[in-house]
Amino acid sequence: MAGYHQNLDQQQAPAFFARGPSPLARLAFFSALSLALMATDSRLQYLGSVREQLMVVLQPLQLIANAPSMLYDSTSEYFSTHHRLLNENQFLRKQALIQAISLQKMNALALENTNLRELLAANQSLEEFSQLGEILHVGRDPFTKKIIVNRGSNQQVVDGAAVVDAKGVIGQVTRTYPASSEVTLITDKSLTIPIQIERNGLRAIAFGHGRDNTLDLPFLPANVDIKRGDQLITSGIDGVYPKGLAVATVTDIQISADSPFARIVCVPTGGIENHKQVLIVSISQPDSPANSGATTPPTGNANTTAKAAAATKPDAAQTAASKVPANTTPVAPVPAAADINQNKKPANPTPAVATEPSTANKPHAQD
Amino acid sequence: MHKTKLQTIYFSLLVAFICVLLPWSGTALNLRPDFVLLVIIFWILRAPNKCNIGTAWFIGLWVDLATGGVFGQYALAYTVTTFVAVVYQRRLVLFSNTQQLVYVLLLLIISQLTLLTVKIFSGNDVLGWSYFLPSITGVILWQAAVALGLNTSRPSRSK
Repeated sequence: MAGYHQNLDQQQAPAFFARGPSPLARLAFFSALSLALMATDSRLQYLGSVREQLMVVLQPLQLIANAPSMLYDSTSEYFSTHHRLLNENQFLRKQALIQAISLQKMNALALENTNLRELLAANQSLEEFSQLGEILHVGRDPFTKKIIVNRGSNQQVVDGAAVVDAKGVIGQVTRTYPASSEVTLITDKSLTIPIQIERNGLRAIAFGHGRDNTLDLPFLPANVDIKRGDQLITSGIDGVYPKGLAVATVTDIQISADSPFARIVCVPTGGIENHKQVLIVSISQPDSPANSGATTPPTGNANTTAKAAAATKPDAAQTAASKVPANTTPVAPVPAAADINQNKKPANPTPAVATEPSTANKPHAQD
Repeated sequence: MHKTKLQTIYFSLLVAFICVLLPWSGTALNLRPDFVLLVIIFWILRAPNKCNIGTAWFIGLWVDLATGGVFGQYALAYTVTTFVAVVYQRRLVLFSNTQQLVYVLLLLIISQLTLLTVKIFSGNDVLGWSYFLPSITGVILWQAAVALGLNTSRPSRSK
């Protein structure tokens, strides 16, 4: 009997149970393949174009998936009441009036700014162009804070462009596909943004907290001059975000005796998770070679950019190194963007912080 | 061996994938069950000769593409999960409904744990217990599907 069992054990499975390679072999093969893919994708840049191609295939499926919610939106819009529309119309009229006044002021200020800059023989500030994008959906990865907008490389969106809404900065384009692009929100752990305290001009770098939609200002001494309610604005020294945009408000400062640093918590001003439209702003390349300064030839390498920046300003190096999330590849500038985009306006209309040397001297991200 | 057509499998996977692509946001995103993995587990239990680890790996790549993460994360998670499913497949068709439910929950958690491991290795935070909610909603969805008449046992036996 025992011998009979041994015989059975050694026997191969009959042909009609055949399942091809054993599950273990398949597991080993496909796991190895996945690991190789992960390594390639995170360390090397080969898969970027593959991803773009595949996204084109994914596009129709995405359209199908978005159709129900789009249909719902358009029908509910259709049935929105007359009364509400009237109210909204009135409100918008008022707002347009208020903004027209400030716009007139801004024109005057911009003109004055240009004159003053000419007087000082300072460099012209960078130009920026913007285009309106619509949020297609929120990123599907629970570990990251991302949104997908409906503008892509076909619409001259470039990696590294800043994304703002009516109230403030919400993030940065980190990956572009032909017809859409991925925006990492400023609350994401991998995104940092150089800021300035509006009240006293103090510069710092804000880090996304990752989990609870807040920003941190780490590595500031416990006696730093920051109060609850302080507004953080973009400092503009990174060449990514236009200067003077609202970023966040300081909500909490904790100073503990056992740490030399204060723990400063800020809440973003922009409606990070409750808007449909966003503005994608990219700062143009300074055209004339005189502007870029003789010291820094354009390079495609983030490290050399950072080093060059270190020569100009000690804290700019840190900025240059940290402003682009790790998985972003530096992208060549698109000069054509200057001609295609309509909404040109001069940057830095706010003369509020005049102490800053011109940003044009610094090499920036899109080199 | 089975009457299941290959087209049925691929079509159901496509539908599940479109469910993933729906514009989820907020709480719904945190609760969203892993539709694709549920469909794969279903077919692996029902027709392992048509849908196997390779299928799971391939569709995992597409989920990776849709989530925008590094290629291979979901692929790896699905590969590991389907391996466990395939190994116990013959026993599983003999399980009672409740036993099967516990087993599916286990598979979904294995998938999430694999993903979590990969994510932690690449420097992400741990998200807390709410990270595992999709496994619970996944099991609820599975139970709903079973209640509606889907059956993992062979078609000949179910009729």
